[in-house]
Amino acid sequence: MKRANDFAVGITILLGIVIIVGATLWVSQADFGRRDQAVTARFRDVGGVRIGTPVVVRGVQAGRVDAMELADNGFVEVRLELDQGVTLPREPVVLLNESSLFGEWQATITEREAATRDEELARQLSEASLNDDLLPGATLPDIARLTAVAGRIAGDVASVAERVRVAFDDQAAREMRNSIRNFADLSTVLAQTVREQSNNLTTMSSEVRGGVESLVRSAELLRLVAERVDSSTTRGEIKQIVDDAAEAARQLRETGRRLVAISGQLGRSQDRLESMLTRGDSIATRISEGRGSLGLMINDPSLYRNSDSLMIQLRALIADVQKNPRRYINLRIF
Amino acid sequence: MTPYSAVATLGRWGRERVEGLGWAGRFVGDTLRAAGDVKTWGPEVTKHATSLGVQSLPIALYIALFTGIVLALLASYSFTGAVPLYFVGTLVEKTVTMELAPVLTGLALAGRVGANIAAQLGTMRVTEQIDALETLAFDPQSYLVVPRVIAGTIMFPIIVGLAMVVGVGAGWLASVLLLDLASVDFVKGMRLFFDSFDVRYGLVKAGSFGMAVTWIGCMQGMTARGGAEGVGRAATSAVVYSAVIILVLDAFWAMAWLLGRDA
Repeated sequence: MKRANDFAVGITILLGIVIIVGATLWVSQADFGRRDQAVTARFRDVGGVRIGTPVVVRGVQAGRVDAMELADNGFVEVRLELDQGVTLPREPVVLLNESSLFGEWQATITEREAATRDEELARQLSEASLNDDLLPGATLPDIARLTAVAGRIAGDVASVAERVRVAFDDQAAREMRNSIRNFADLSTVLAQTVREQSNNLTTMSSEVRGGVESLVRSAELLRLVAERVDSSTTRGEIKQIVDDAAEAARQLRETGRRLVAISGQLGRSQDRLESMLTRGDSIATRISEGRGSLGLMINDPSLYRNSDSLMIQLRALIADVQKNPRRYINLRIF
Repeated sequence: MTPYSAVATLGRWGRERVEGLGWAGRFVGDTLRAAGDVKTWGPEVTKHATSLGVQSLPIALYIALFTGIVLALLASYSFTGAVPLYFVGTLVEKTVTMELAPVLTGLALAGRVGANIAAQLGTMRVTEQIDALETLAFDPQSYLVVPRVIAGTIMFPIIVGLAMVVGVGAGWLASVLLLDLASVDFVKGMRLFFDSFDVRYGLVKAGSFGMAVTWIGCMQGMTARGGAEGVGRAATSAVVYSAVIILVLDAFWAMAWLLGRDA
């Protein structure tokens, strides 16, 4: 009986201790034998952070606050135990903030760049950066401070609302109704205008789209031309073409100059021709009118006959001369 | 009643209270002195630990079980729409660990253990068994009081610790099965503000309750007079005084440990 009592008491005590200690360790998330990494951060104020407060990296719990102590120059140094394998971000800083409305705090390790958008945080971080191994830290305002600010804002809003209530009498209500009605009309007009503009914009956009497509095609062609030009440039054909064009232009200029000269000569020849034609016309007129010797010769048959007779006599004379030259030519030497 | 007799009555009442306190102090002093007689009380401890502790486990765990369930439901009822439901875990853990498990278990055991001890020792007193022990040169303090006080002081924290686990576990199960609360949320709430101090605080309180309940039971039993009626009065007084002292000690520990402590 006595041994049974001893065993019962012993097993109860043993089980009790094991269960209580085990449950306590499990709830407090104790982790023995894990070689965690530790970092220390420096803050001006740690707010509501306590030992055991979770440490969060990129939104995931990655450790806990392990120790806190007051440091020199009005700082507080907080040691953070991080889980194995946790990689810190580039230029890490530690922000202490409330994780809910109910007083839960957390330490967030993040990049400095993400934290310095807020002027106050940037100031705190700059203050806590002392060129040593400690991470700079900053504390975000807690809910109580935010609530106090919100309370002041709410008071201001209430004050404004009270003033509006006083100012908003029946006359104001009627005017407001009219204004709303006018606004409704205006809104209808605006809607119509917007619809029209929308249609226009649709048309414009389709045209612009067409234009853009044309531009794309042109760009493609230009690209092809550029490629060709590029390849031509590479082989020196363009230079040859330009040289040939320069030579042709020079020849054209020369030809033009000559043409100008010929043109001037032609002008003068035309003048002379016209003068000659005028004279010829005058001569022809006189001839046709039978004036002058030629006119008489052309228009008077007796002249033709005389001439013909003369010609006959001349031929006879020439034949006689040829036949009897000594009759007509007496050549003496000395 | 004349003014003289009224003042005399007041004086007598005061004297009796002071005498009671003095007698209690002397009893405690005798017990501490008897604690040096290990050979006498040592072999008796496990017997009393079995009857006071091991056999009290079912009632303690039963109370813890239903306390945890009711607490989870009450917390859910109170929090709905105002506070996130995972705070049910926080409330169950804090309340069971720091207050309900030690106090309710203490009060239950005050009835069971305190009355049991007072009845046993009272019967021995009125049947002159204690006188016989003294005649045989046995120190009744060493043989009867010390092993019971030590057994109570050791076993109460064990029982309360198990009651804590069962109470929180019952609250967890109730939250998952009866409330629309995920298991992970309950655990999140439980871990949110958990500190091992909570457990230490509850266990230390439980130890002090065990010591007080057994001591008061022994005192009432050892001073029983007048046969069976006296034994009944002793048992009743033991339960009442134990319950009162448990609440006084509860307040004492709260003031001593919690006041000014940064949570």
